[in-house]
Parts: sequence; structure tokens; C-alpha cells
Amino acid sequence: MPPTARAISQAWRAARSRIRMRHHHLLLRCRAMPLLPLPPRTLRVSGGLVHHRLIRCHGMPIPRRTPGVSGGRLFASLPLPPPLQSPREVHVWYLCPDELNNQSQLNMYEELLSPSEREYADSMKATMLRKDVVLSRALLRTTLSRYTGCKIDPRSFEFKKNKFGKPEVLWPLDDSTAEQPLHFNISHTTSLIACGIAINAHIGIDVEEKKRNTTKNILSLARRYFTPSEVDSLAEISDSDAQRKEFLKLWTLKEAYVKALGMGFSGAPFSTFSIMLETSKGIRISKTSNASRPGYDHLSENWLFTLAELNSSHYMSVCIEDSSRSQAGPEDSPAPVGLKVWKTVPFVEDTLVSGTEAVKLIA
Amino acid sequence: MPAFVLQLYIAMCLQSDPECPALLDSRIHLEVANVISSRSSVSFRSQKMSFVSIRSRPSSLRFKICCSATGEAQAKKETVDKVCMIVKKQLAVPDGTPVTAESKFSELGADSLDTVEIVMGLEEEFNITVDETSAQDIATVQDAADLIEKLVTEKTA
Repeated sequence: MPPTARAISQAWRAARSRIRMRHHHLLLRCRAMPLLPLPPRTLRVSGGLVHHRLIRCHGMPIPRRTPGVSGGRLFASLPLPPPLQSPREVHVWYLCPDELNNQSQLNMYEELLSPSEREYADSMKATMLRKDVVLSRALLRTTLSRYTGCKIDPRSFEFKKNKFGKPEVLWPLDDSTAEQPLHFNISHTTSLIACGIAINAHIGIDVEEKKRNTTKNILSLARRYFTPSEVDSLAEISDSDAQRKEFLKLWTLKEAYVKALGMGFSGAPFSTFSIMLETSKGIRISKTSNASRPGYDHLSENWLFTLAELNSSHYMSVCIEDSSRSQAGPEDSPAPVGLKVWKTVPFVEDTLVSGTEAVKLIA
Repeated sequence: MPAFVLQLYIAMCLQSDPECPALLDSRIHLEVANVISSRSSVSFRSQKMSFVSIRSRPSSLRFKICCSATGEAQAKKETVDKVCMIVKKQLAVPDGTPVTAESKFSELGADSLDTVEIVMGLEEEFNITVDETSAQDIATVQDAADLIEKLVTEKTA
């Protein structure tokens, strides 16, 4: 039974009195979660059924929507994806903003957003950026809904940020899906937004356009931000275009690692770890001597990487935690990451693209 | 939380007289950032406390606090202008879109690679070195300009 308006406002008053000021150095930029709970939204009555938007009250259980309820029908039409079978499996769902121009579809996606997400979208002055914000939040919410058996309304997901600002799902206390925690990460370029999902393993993903040009010279960028061994491997490439592409590959891999670690750019500066692409054991990461300074003990090497070319237009790097590696010695080859990729237009069409020409594994 | 109350009091004093010089004890180093009325969030940073952020309900007040603890004015306009120019060039901002001190990098469409290129451009222009921790806190053009001024001052000191 959905809670009544009275129960909602009582819960809100109780929650408000429990709210404490949080000291969080990134809180100003934490747009997904308001500090104070919002007042209850007005109830709409439609066709005899009372719809209520889920209230962002801490401690209040989120009621499940049952499929078949008007409005619930839409997300129940999301097809169930194949399950994530192991912590080494990563599923990536991506969409192309340039191809999504149907205004009624975009309005539908916007309906999925929470008020603070909508506020953030509205703060974007450029229309393209606003559309990207709407699409990336809609992609995340619909993907999470898929991996929770399509039983949870995409609108009902709540998010929190860890102390470094990495977004995570805030699972309701009574939810059984919290036993198998889903981890996600999002990356966007102007032409592609990707959402990676893993189970029981922290994940980081980064996409970049292959044709992207830097304004600064590649080697000077590398000397400033990368490690000496990476600079050397880039300097060996004589063709400037090939060098630029290699730089982008390294960039996406390093970015994916930092995002997977979840400690921000300063938690793992690029100069503290090296990525090696061409080893016999696939992509390897190693800490540099820089990292032996105090403060970088959290940099770990038990991470699995995969690098792929999407649609011949983008590089995509995925990095997930490898908990089994602590038992294996460093000489053992890590098992490859099981990668599945879908191109999606949420509620309209999903296409499995991994295993086709659209996804070419590089390493 | 007496320190918190002190900060709020200072903010209120400054609100009534935005042009006043710094009235802060030199032991407490406070920087107060611009406040945008639609978001009504005020941020304080203090050596004694970790970063505190307060959000109130949106009000029609719009006030600018222009002092820093050292008593100098906010980053000079020419610094801000130079930063705007570097940002515009890096992000290829179309002529119609204004880039001002309050512009947020995220709202201009900067991704992580753009941000490091901007930081590198600023390092070259002002002959400074920005470490990753400081770079991570830059959200607006004003933040970048303030950081530059601070690093330049520290360098010449």
C-alpha cells in the first residue's frame, strides 16, 4: 500500500529533525543529494490511482512500484538483461545523444529524473549540455532498473556520494538487492554516453573520441601528467597521429582506474602509476616511485583492465577490481574481463553490439 | 559550534557592507566565495575546520563578498580576464556564449582532459605549478583566478 500523504509528511518532519550538518569538502558540488529533505510533493490522482513521487526522506523505505500500475507499465517494458555472472563481468550500456532528437522521448526521460537532477540540468546554459545531463541520468536510472529485475522504478533510485565525490547507489534498507551490490560508473563525451555495471566489484569507465585533438602538444602533456616510462613509450612513436591515439588510449585507461578507485584526481595523480599496454599478460598497472610518498598507500594494483574500440569512433576503457588476484601471484595471467556491450535507446530498442564489428577489443 | 557562528556573523557583517576591508583575525584564514542567489549556498574554508557548506532556501538576496583574510581584494580583473581567455580558447566556446568569473567549467562542457589542458595553460601563462589537490577544487573561473593569485603571491614571497 503506498503511504498516505499524512504518513509522508510525518516521516518528513521526523527526518528533518534528524538531519545533521555534514562537513564535506565536496558538498558544494554534490548535486545529486540535497542536504535537507525536500517537502513532500503534491499527490496527483490519475484514473483513480494515487501516484506519488518518491520522497527523498532518509530512513523511509521506498515502496516498490508494481508493474501494471499506470506509469509503472513503462519501466516494466525494459527487457531483462542477462545476469552478471561473476565479479569479472562488466556490462556496458551506451547511447548516442546525436541520434536521440525525439522531443517526446526526451520529455519521457526527463520525467525519470529527481528534482535535484532536473535542477542541475536546468543550470546548464547550453541546450546540448542540458540534453546530455538528462540522457546520462536517464541512462543510469534505466540501467539500474534493468539489473534489479526491472522491479524498481527508475525514478526511485537515490544516490549518495562517497567522501571523495564518487556517486553510489543508496539502497533502501529493506531491499534484498543490497545483498549483491551493483556498482556503476558513467562516462560521457559529446557523442556517446556510457554506463558500466558490475557486481561486487568497484568499476571505472572512460570513453573518448578517437579523433579528439589536444590543444597542447602530446609529449608535453605526457611529461606534465604521465610517468617517465609512459612518456618514453609515447616518444618512441614517430607518427604523430598514432602517438595521439596512443595517448588517448593511455588517458582513458588511467582515467578509468582513477574513477574505479573513487578517490578523485588527487587521490591517484596520473604520475603515481604506470599503465603498460603491450605486456603478454594484457594491460598491467604498476605504481611508480612517486607513489611511495606518504598518502598514496591506497593505490593498489589488483585491478583488471579492458580497452576496446567502439564503432571505430571511440576508445572505451573499463577498470574493475580484482579481488581474486590477492591469491594469485603476480606471474599469473589475470583472467580476461567478460565484457558485454549494448547500444540502447531506453524503452525503445536495445542492441547487443559486443561480439560484432562495433566492439573491437584492443587489450 | 562557535566557529560556525563566527563565520555566519562575519558573513552577515560583510553582507551589509561588502566593500569593507578584512576584519578577520589573521590567525583564522577564511575565504568567502561568491554567492549565487538561485543556489543560495555559502562555503567557508578554515584552517581549523573542514569544509562546511550551508544551503538555505532560495532567497532574493544577491550579495558578493569580496574580501579575503589577507585583506587583498579578490583576484584582479586582469587575472580573471586571462583565465577566461585561456578557457575560451581551450573549450572553443562560441562567440555568443559569455565566459565570466562565475562560469563553471562543467557548465561550459569541460571534461577531464580539457581541465588538465586548461590547468597546464594557466601554469604556462602565470609560471606556476598547480598540484592535483588544488586543481581538483577548481569549479569556476573565479576559483582558478584566486588559486593563481595565491600561487603567484607565494612564489614571489
